[in-house]
Amino acid sequence: MERLTGIGVSEGLAVGPALVAIQRTQVIRFPIAADRVGRELVALDRARERSHEQLHQIRSRIAALRGADLAAIFDAQLLMLEDPMLVTRAAALVREERVNAEWAVQRAVEELGQVFNDLADPYLRERKGDLHDVAGRLRMNLRDEKGSARDLLQDLETPCVLIADELTPSVVAQLDWTRIRGFATDAGSRTYHTAILARSLGVPAVVGLHDVSRRVPPRAWVIVDAATGDVLINPTDDVRREAEARATLARGRAALPRPIEGPVETADGIRIVLEANIERVDDAATAAAAGADGIGLYRSEFMIAGGPPDVVGEEEQYAVYRQLLEGMGGRPVTVRTFDVDERQIARPVVDVALDGRWFPDERASGHAGLRGIRFGLANPDIFKRQLRALLRAAAQGPLRILFPFVSSVAEVRAARALIDEARAEVAAAGASAPAVPVGIMIEVPSAAFTASILAREVDFFTIGTNDLIQYTLAVDRTDERVSDRYEPLHPAVLRLIRHVRRGAARQRIPVSVCGEMASDPLLLRLLIGCGLTQLSMTPGAMPVARRVIRETHAGDMARLVARVMTLGTVEEIEQALLAAFGRSQESQKSEVKSQK
Amino acid sequence: MTTQTVTVTNQLGMHARAAARFVHVATRFESQIRVGRDVNVMDGKSIMGILLLAAARGTTITISADGPDEAAAVQTLCGLVASGFGEDQWNG
Repeated sequence: MERLTGIGVSEGLAVGPALVAIQRTQVIRFPIAADRVGRELVALDRARERSHEQLHQIRSRIAALRGADLAAIFDAQLLMLEDPMLVTRAAALVREERVNAEWAVQRAVEELGQVFNDLADPYLRERKGDLHDVAGRLRMNLRDEKGSARDLLQDLETPCVLIADELTPSVVAQLDWTRIRGFATDAGSRTYHTAILARSLGVPAVVGLHDVSRRVPPRAWVIVDAATGDVLINPTDDVRREAEARATLARGRAALPRPIEGPVETADGIRIVLEANIERVDDAATAAAAGADGIGLYRSEFMIAGGPPDVVGEEEQYAVYRQLLEGMGGRPVTVRTFDVDERQIARPVVDVALDGRWFPDERASGHAGLRGIRFGLANPDIFKRQLRALLRAAAQGPLRILFPFVSSVAEVRAARALIDEARAEVAAAGASAPAVPVGIMIEVPSAAFTASILAREVDFFTIGTNDLIQYTLAVDRTDERVSDRYEPLHPAVLRLIRHVRRGAARQRIPVSVCGEMASDPLLLRLLIGCGLTQLSMTPGAMPVARRVIRETHAGDMARLVARVMTLGTVEEIEQALLAAFGRSQESQKSEVKSQK
Repeated sequence: MTTQTVTVTNQLGMHARAAARFVHVATRFESQIRVGRDVNVMDGKSIMGILLLAAARGTTITISADGPDEAAAVQTLCGLVASGFGEDQWNG
């Protein structure tokens, strides 16, 4: 038995099997039970096969449309997929270290990446981009095969105790908090955030342990004692039994999420609309089953699976949008037009040293290039093809169109002119194209600042917090040197969100939030405190969101947010939140006492 | 085991397309194939291995094969490299 001591930041005691989560560039590492290794390897192999099919298809389409030279880029990617140094190596890691396939792929890529960096030849160094594309594609297909980290947690028979190096916002957003009894982290940083999270969830937590994530062996049992700040690894049977008895008492008030019962309301009766973010057509049915009020965001670029947008025809798109509407059975479906960067489309090869970056991987997403609505306006044929398909599908159900990456009113007006053209084209072909609500993503600071002006031009807003935070704070999340500066609690972020909501309210248009903030149990409360009543998140995050919303008093949160708005630093804000949640825990405890 | 050295002659050395051709041909043979440059030796059937060798124009590499078709493998692959991967008639 090993004892480590850190800082207890909430109350109570948790006992359970440890789940060690280490995060690097948004990929989480989980240990896999011995009897699941086989399944993991099968998933990896299937992901490789699908990636192969997709690359092969893209290669054929490019060869037909643009010629063999360009298609040859994909030969290299196809070979990388079959390369023993990648997938075979990842499979070996899964087997030997018993880790999840995504992590194994990440590790294999990192090993290779190191060697690429040492190459003197800049052209060859560029091939590293192809490697990342292939890895990104593998991860995308693995997600399809296996589900998300959240689903992995669902598979555990008993809830676990989470041991993490650090609980960054992206890790928090990816986990199923109903399956987590308590947690312990290495980090001394984000202490407050972790503490507030723990208190708002009502679970024990200990932080500042330095190296607990490296010291907990696979399948160990751990005790996390928030009162003493102790974490015990592989406790003796006596110690464990005693702790379990105490843990059961302490857990008395924690309720499991109630089954899906229709519309969600805050503790003071404010209705909150919960919609789903999805990437695949099949997810629409999942979202409906999870009780989603609609689809708040369908990322249409995933239809292309990393190929060029101009190879997806109008009929193919129309079929997809219809399927989404059918899957949601009468509930609204919001389709975001292709959010790709033009660099992701191959151009005719002039010189052999070209690279055409295909896959919309995390590196490209932070890039302020010719993407989103800009891409659409620069490629009106592709844009109108999508608009025609959307307008036609809108005759089948409540469809909404969402434009990404908007930065000005001029862009919106130009896009609406294209909608008018598309509508005329649809009518000329003899089909009907009803009026469709048109909205924009608020993810660029210029749009956020001019929210009240933009609100006159559109029917709704969707705040994309991930990019909005990155651009407002000038932080590239994928740059490890600065990624910890990505701080949703920064005073600028809260002010900007409030500003957007007010701008929308002035014109009486609805505003929703998609983005990680909405799936974070703590930040979700702040969003409600800012006056937001529409959220969109991945379906797996909905059960916890429901529970958190029902426990949240919107009026109290509004007062808390007003207080917090006067504070200047993240630390002060966190201290204020900590105090607020500490107090609410106590008043809840005294409620329980008085009921006895 | 059969071994032979050959010099890379095409303009861009063993860049992506040349490496891809090399690996395509190498994987058709049953024998285990190794390609060496200085102290680095890579699996000849691994595209990344070949790319990482970074064999630029003028470099001498060693191709060795071990297996039933080793002689044919070495001969074919050396021929491929020596002929510049058939690329020099293209521009670039």
